[in-house]
Amino acid sequence: MGKLVMRRSAADNKYLHKDFHGALSNGIEYLHETYGPEAVREYLRQFVRSYYAPLRAQIAARGLEALKEHFERMYAVEGGSVQTEMDGDTLTLHIDRCPAVTHMREHGYMVARMFSETSRTVNEALVEGTPFEAEMPDYDDATGRSTQIFRRRAA
Amino acid sequence: MISCTDFIPAYSELFKYLDSRGGKAAVVAFWEYLSDNFLGNLKELVVANGIKGCWLYWSHTLNEEAADFSMELDEEAGMFRIDMYHCPSMGRLIETKHIEAYPDYCHHCDVLYRRVLEPLGYSCEVDLAHCKEARCSLVVLRK
Repeated sequence: MGKLVMRRSAADNKYLHKDFHGALSNGIEYLHETYGPEAVREYLRQFVRSYYAPLRAQIAARGLEALKEHFERMYAVEGGSVQTEMDGDTLTLHIDRCPAVTHMREHGYMVARMFSETSRTVNEALVEGTPFEAEMPDYDDATGRSTQIFRRRAA
Repeated sequence: MISCTDFIPAYSELFKYLDSRGGKAAVVAFWEYLSDNFLGNLKELVVANGIKGCWLYWSHTLNEEAADFSMELDEEAGMFRIDMYHCPSMGRLIETKHIEAYPDYCHHCDVLYRRVLEPLGYSCEVDLAHCKEARCSLVVLRK
C-alpha cells in the first residue's frame, strides 16, 4: 500500500495514442449495427466535409500534390509506410500494412466490418466537388494492405 | 485510414451525427456501448490490482495523449485522483477553429468510466465545471 504522485506537462510526451483506432473502430461497428451500413458512410462523409475542409480547399487549389503531402505526413506520424506514385493526373498509394489495422490486431481490438470505409469513403469525400475521383481497387481486411488511386475525372 | 491524431475531431463529429439521428439519448447509448466494449482493459486492471488499476490505466493513456495533468494514488485511503490542467481532447477541439465541438463532448468521460468502476465497488466523480476551458478532475473512491 503506497502513495504515488505523477505530474506531466504536454511537452513531456509525444501525442500518439494508437488505441484511439480501436475506439473509432467501435464507433464504426456501432453505427453499422444500430443504423445500417449507409450510416457509416454518411457519418464519414460529414466528418470529412467538416474537419478536412482546409485540406479539401488545398486539393481544389493545388490538386493531387496536396493529397500526396497529406498521406505522406499521415503515414509518417503513424509510423507506417506508404509508397506514392504521381503520374500526370493520377496519384497511386501503395500501403503494405495499415498502421491502424496493425495496431488493433496486435492489441486484440475488434476491427469493424466496415473499417475499410475509413479509407474508401474518406478518400471519395476528400475529392468530392473537385476535378478528381478516388478508387480503392484492393483492400485486405486482415492487414489493411491496399492500393488507393486518385485520378482526374473523365470529361 | 484516419490518423489517430485526428481521432478527437472524428469522435466529436460522431457524437454530432448520433445526436442528429436520435438526440442526446442516442449519444449516451453509444457511450455505454463503448464503455462495455472498449474499456475492458480498465476493468481488468482494476479487478486485478484494485484501485491501483486506475493508476496503471491512466498512466498509459494520459502520457500517450500528451496531457497536462497530475495524478495521485493513495491505496490505503482507497483514493485515486486526476487533475487535468489542459485536456488534450478538449484542447484540440478548442484549437481547431473551423469545427465546433459537440456541446456535451466532455460528458463521455463521466459515462464511460463510471459505468466500469461503480459495479466494481468504487464511486467515480467527474467535475466538468471548467471543461470548456479544457480543465476537469476525476476522483475515484473505494466504497
